[in-house]
Amino acid sequence: MATLEFNGKTFEIDEDGFLLDYNMYNEEWVEYVKGQEGIDEMTDEHWQLVKVLQDYYEKNGIAPMVRVLSKLTKFKLKHIYELFPSGPGKGACKMAGLPKPTGCV
Amino acid sequence: MAFISTGYNPAKPMENRITDIGPKDYHDFYPPVIANNKGKWSHHEILEPGVLVHVGDSGDEVYTVRVGGCRLMSTSHINEICDIADKHCDGYVRFTTRNNIEFMVDSKDKVEPLKNDLASRKFAGGSNKFPIGGTGAGVTNIVHTQGWIHCHTPATDASGTVKATMDTLFDDFQQMRLPAQLRVSMACCLNMCGAVHCSDIAILGYHRKPPMLDHEYLDKVCEIPLAVAACPTAAIKPSKQTLANGTEVKSVEVKNERCMYCGNCYTMCPSMPLADTEGDGIVLMAGGKVSNRISDPKFSKVVVAFLPNEMPRWPSMTDAIKKIVNAYSNGANKYERLGDWAERIGWEKFFSACELDFTHHLIDDFRQQAYMSWRQTTNFKF
Ligand code: HEM
Ligand code: HEM
Ligand code: SF4
Ligand code: SF4
Repeated sequence: MATLEFNGKTFEIDEDGFLLDYNMYNEEWVEYVKGQEGIDEMTDEHWQLVKVLQDYYEKNGIAPMVRVLSKLTKFKLKHIYELFPSGPGKGACKMAGLPKPTGCV
Repeated sequence: MAFISTGYNPAKPMENRITDIGPKDYHDFYPPVIANNKGKWSHHEILEPGVLVHVGDSGDEVYTVRVGGCRLMSTSHINEICDIADKHCDGYVRFTTRNNIEFMVDSKDKVEPLKNDLASRKFAGGSNKFPIGGTGAGVTNIVHTQGWIHCHTPATDASGTVKATMDTLFDDFQQMRLPAQLRVSMACCLNMCGAVHCSDIAILGYHRKPPMLDHEYLDKVCEIPLAVAACPTAAIKPSKQTLANGTEVKSVEVKNERCMYCGNCYTMCPSMPLADTEGDGIVLMAGGKVSNRISDPKFSKVVVAFLPNEMPRWPSMTDAIKKIVNAYSNGANKYERLGDWAERIGWEKFFSACELDFTHHLIDDFRQQAYMSWRQTTNFKF
């Protein structure tokens, strides 16, 4: 666990750089993660994916399955990787402020 | 050490990135005698424990010397394996599906020098670096997992229990005196990475206490519906909890009478840890197999409900394993795997032959299928 200062905002993060609390999310967080995750510019598609993850999480309490994410965004998995090189879990969920994926990952 | 770049540019992570190239083609690593006779083998023979010969239709022969490997090994150990392969086998070597190491030579006169070299190598503590064996009707390597070396869900250690067991059964690694081969496997939690559910004897890490709940963080770090759905006995339900400081948070509640400590919820939710020094220990299972030889494949069955974790040598566990192996080798017919033997004599006789206690924990109580494991016949022995 560590506290991070970025553009005047503070975030509590774990050793993998995931937010410790979804309620701490704000747009500065996206700015911070994008540098780490190999994203030059946030496009509309990046934002669309982040919003879908956040809506789904707020409604259901879980991150969507990859197939559900694909269906909701109309992005194929290949395109999700083009947007988020580390993939939907480590890249997109981290940026959206969702909890770290668990299980035998 | 100061940072030394490989040439990767973190500012442009996708530039010059190589991906989806897969593993190297195994053809690249065949010893010439294997490449030349591939698909044209005539027969094979076990010359002695740990030494095999395969004869090709062409008359070519390849001699294989199998040695035990500790699986978890340093690069210096691998370098030593490579040195041996360079010296005796033109640089070729392979690892088996039970993590033994096989050195191959293409003529009989190369076997003795290789064997002598392998047998002479020891660690400073005295243990064999490359014990020859693991063939035929004996005990070969133990398929095992991560344990306290690297995993976060174990209830026991893998490398430690395996070393203690292999020391106890070492004679049978270097002999072929059993009725059939005896596979021992180990998994440090009931995720059962590996082969414990289908081995002649299996060592399994086991908890005996329900998870602790870190209400303060649970909703933050866990996806609560996943934790609820992780439970095979539906012991978990979502709940609201009030913290010491008065804030109400979302969390879960565990009905302890329904929990059987599988630890699945912790796998999904970091706020539900359950490892416990006194609670955790070992279950032994027996009678599984994967081959179709004579009888169909079988699952292993629980035969010892709990043995404590006794670091660093687990004596109660190795004693129980030794009793099972002895009873099997004395009682079974030739070619009978441990499970074939237990089923032929009846499990009630298995327990008396192995001098193991039968406790109520061994009676299946998981869902409808449990019924099928009870005895629906008057056929039994006193
Ligand atoms: C609606 C009508 C019936 C119901 C709900 C019913 C229900 C049951 C149940 C629950 C059992 C116990 C099964 C077990 O131990 O797992 C049973 C057993 C048995 N029933 Fe019925 N039964 C009905 C009608 C009948 C009739 C009409 C007969 C005979 C003419 C009959 C003969 C038996 C016998 C012989 C057993 C013992 C079977 C065994 O030991 O395996 N039942 N019944
Ligand atoms: C001389 C005639 C009979 C003898 C010697 C006899 C004997 C027995 C015995 C020894 C059992 C117990 C089996 C066990 O250990 O589970 C039994 C069970 C049974 N018998 Fe008979 N039986 C006779 C006639 C009949 C008749 C006429 C019927 C039906 C019309 C019948 C229906 C049953 C049933 C349903 C059971 C199972 C009971 C249960 O599930 O607990 N028996 N019989
Ligand atoms: S068996 Fe369980 S504890 Fe052991 S490595 Fe697999 S998941 Fe981890
Ligand atoms: S340890 Fe297993 S049985 Fe117990 S609450 Fe967790 S998931 Fe359910």
